[in-house]
Amino acid sequence: MSALDLSLRAQAAAIAAGEADAAELLEETLERIGQRNPALNAVVETFPERSGEMLAAAPDGPLRGVPVVIKDEWPLPWRAQRFGAAEMLAPSAPSESGPYRALREAGAVIVGVGNMHELGAGSTGNVSVYGPAANPWDTERCPGGSSSGPAAAVSARMVAGAVGADGIGSIRFPAAYCGLTGLKPTFGRAAMAGHHLAEVSTTIVSGPLCADAADARLLASALFREPLAAGEGRGLRIGIVRDTVTDDVAPAVRDACEEAIRALAEETGGELVEVELADVEPAALATVLIANTEGLTGLSPQRLNDLDPELSPLARGLLKYRMLLPAAASVKAYSVRTLMRRRVAAAFDGVDVIAWPTVPAVAPPLQAPLVELPSGTLTADAANVRGAGLANLTGIPSVSVPVGLSEGLPIGLQLQAAWGKDELLLDAAEALERANGRRWVDSLPPLARAAETTEA
Amino acid sequence: MEASNRADDFIPAGLASLGIEADEIELAVIGAAHGMFWPAILELLELDTEGAGPMLAADLSRPPASA
Repeated sequence: MSALDLSLRAQAAAIAAGEADAAELLEETLERIGQRNPALNAVVETFPERSGEMLAAAPDGPLRGVPVVIKDEWPLPWRAQRFGAAEMLAPSAPSESGPYRALREAGAVIVGVGNMHELGAGSTGNVSVYGPAANPWDTERCPGGSSSGPAAAVSARMVAGAVGADGIGSIRFPAAYCGLTGLKPTFGRAAMAGHHLAEVSTTIVSGPLCADAADARLLASALFREPLAAGEGRGLRIGIVRDTVTDDVAPAVRDACEEAIRALAEETGGELVEVELADVEPAALATVLIANTEGLTGLSPQRLNDLDPELSPLARGLLKYRMLLPAAASVKAYSVRTLMRRRVAAAFDGVDVIAWPTVPAVAPPLQAPLVELPSGTLTADAANVRGAGLANLTGIPSVSVPVGLSEGLPIGLQLQAAWGKDELLLDAAEALERANGRRWVDSLPPLARAAETTEA
Repeated sequence: MEASNRADDFIPAGLASLGIEADEIELAVIGAAHGMFWPAILELLELDTEGAGPMLAADLSRPPASA
């Protein structure tokens, strides 16, 4: 087996023990990207010379010599981010972003930049200046967005870990669609410096996308610049909410999530607790309004009239629509944030985690990202935001973990915890892996299975 | 007056008042977004948030101080 097929932590351990050669691993990684990426368009740029320089200078950190991909949302010293767009409506230049520094200090080697949904404004990943990224489980399906490329790259085992960003579900959506573990950290806990909205955004965080929770813990520790201790998650009190976010869900997704929640309670010797948490759906809209308002920085009518014609019509229209949103609604959104933070805090007095489906249906087709739900046909974006916005609105951490397959496509369960309890979420995710015998985190998409056979 | 999500007048007039130009495709996108968001925005405006002011400087890394 190639070291490249090991977990992130096993790669790091093998290099540290002298059992794997980091230079060979880098070479194999670039070779594999060359083999698997054409079908996925997950990695939009590699820079072997720069990666080699990072490796040569890598300190003896917890990720020394381990290759990772970083989303096109973060600048690098040799490359400005493009935000997945022909024009990102904000200044961008090569620089040392927070995640870059955190990875460098941990000894990681950035091997490529991951594709992303244009301007971070979609949950599907099917629109980008680089062209759509595809889902390794079915290349006609959406990989999820906006961290589409990082997720597809890890899912196809081009790398064992990638750094994404999550402003309204942008790590958790692709984690769910691609069968990965994706952590949206507590607001402010992960490296954020250098992001073009770092000074204004109250929703965006950086975070890891990995195959399983232990790898996500290792990569998150680098991004947090502090080790995240592992526990057992014993006696977990799991909050269940009865709301649109749990009811208007495709039956296969609902069944898999309910089974996983029961298994998690059994594994931890915990209990299920019904939680009253009203207005989750308006909270999602409030998140969208806040994120859109904060993203208005630098926009003006003239600026909007001069948009790059290479921006998609969807992006151009939505940017212009932002200018028509009533200020009263934006202010109201901040009141909803206050309200929901109080309600969430009260809920966590009685439970340790709150669980519901990450997304209500499996990955939709790239050509028509619509989902069929009990309430009817919805755009994936409209359906997905319902369950994702609360964590970004309130600041709490949230993780998406794989819990099944439907139509050959992954299903994700979302676990949310109180502020600063990122470690507990990862404990719960690991307990769930034990409960299902690691069945889902160890599943490989057809593209990676087929490639393994071909490459053998 | 009853609230409405009719886009026929609001969108062109709103854009024109700001001096923002939009082609047919962009207008179609804006119309679709308006149809999706506006009813929910109107509901949001009616949501009871009494006692929950817009705390713009809230520390989102921690629970609310009153919790």
